[in-house]
Amino acid sequence: MKALIQKQIFDFLFNNGVENFIGVPDSTMKHFIDQGFKKNKIIITTKEEESIGIAVGMSLSQSNSLVFMQNAGFANSLSTITSLVQLYQIPMIFLIGWRGFLKSDAPEHTKIGKIQPILLKALSLESKILTEKNWKASCNWALKLIKEKKSCVLILKRDFID
Amino acid sequence: MIRKEAIITAVKKIGNYPVISANGLISRDLFEVCDRNTNFYMIGSMGLASSIGLGVALKNTKKRIFVFDGDGNILMNLGSLITIGTIKPKNLVHIIFDNNSHESTGGQPTATNKIQLTKIAKSANYRVFQAKTKNQLIKVFQKIKLIQGPIMVIVKIEKGKIVSKRINIEPTKIKNRFMNSLGKQ
Repeated sequence: MKALIQKQIFDFLFNNGVENFIGVPDSTMKHFIDQGFKKNKIIITTKEEESIGIAVGMSLSQSNSLVFMQNAGFANSLSTITSLVQLYQIPMIFLIGWRGFLKSDAPEHTKIGKIQPILLKALSLESKILTEKNWKASCNWALKLIKEKKSCVLILKRDFID
Repeated sequence: MIRKEAIITAVKKIGNYPVISANGLISRDLFEVCDRNTNFYMIGSMGLASSIGLGVALKNTKKRIFVFDGDGNILMNLGSLITIGTIKPKNLVHIIFDNNSHESTGGQPTATNKIQLTKIAKSANYRVFQAKTKNQLIKVFQKIKLIQGPIMVIVKIEKGKIVSKRINIEPTKIKNRFMNSLGKQ
């Protein structure tokens, strides 16, 4: 996705009530994170579970968070999602990069890229894929869900090879 | 000193400030000793009490936020010390009840007697205090009153045979009453 649109997505979420952006970086969403750094709103953690824990603490304090990660990190987070986020019904937006979406992506991403949609479904996590055309509608959908105190997932496809 | 005694002593000193307690026997002891709306019992997600505490601390800067952690718990999320030490929340007090074992799962050993958690925490920008007895713990609480965080208190405890009852409050109720208590204080 183009740098400009990634920046617009950050600004849109930030201007519409998402106050904290916590995560582990993914090159798929580099420009989104860069924009967050410009606004001094990013917290980088050592692991994804830690990001989710911090976001939970902020949510308990009535402050909305987005947690960003690669899909490898999403796989790390399964237990935290079930036994913390879903158990206590904590609202938050997950932004997950979809490595392994392209068949020509690096081999370590192939398997997780393949099972990512299955894992989301197994967790009953609602998700939408962000595109250059629909991103605003998808962001509005996610904002609506966290207002309803639900967690949800926005996905950014890895559509380039470096 | 066993954990329950240490928790009674700590809670008396803490008063009404929020406590985020780690899963297993730590939360169960806290629940049995002093159930109150300002306790957030983390009943799953082992390792994350300090991360949740960091999130609460960053959004409630006028209150001291206490984390009741265990040695097994913090060893599972040592990265949390790095993040806390980077952000340096002044109002976070991280208490580790260290019995050198996974007592909740049958007393299997942890490595806290083979490494120096104090050194790890100090190098991660914590102010570190230690207590082995009830009196020492009371003194540490007096000492840390005017000190800025992040503060770590390592409380060496013995394994005990007492097993406190399970927490019988619905997780969403634990959440709601904790959120309300944060809003009111």
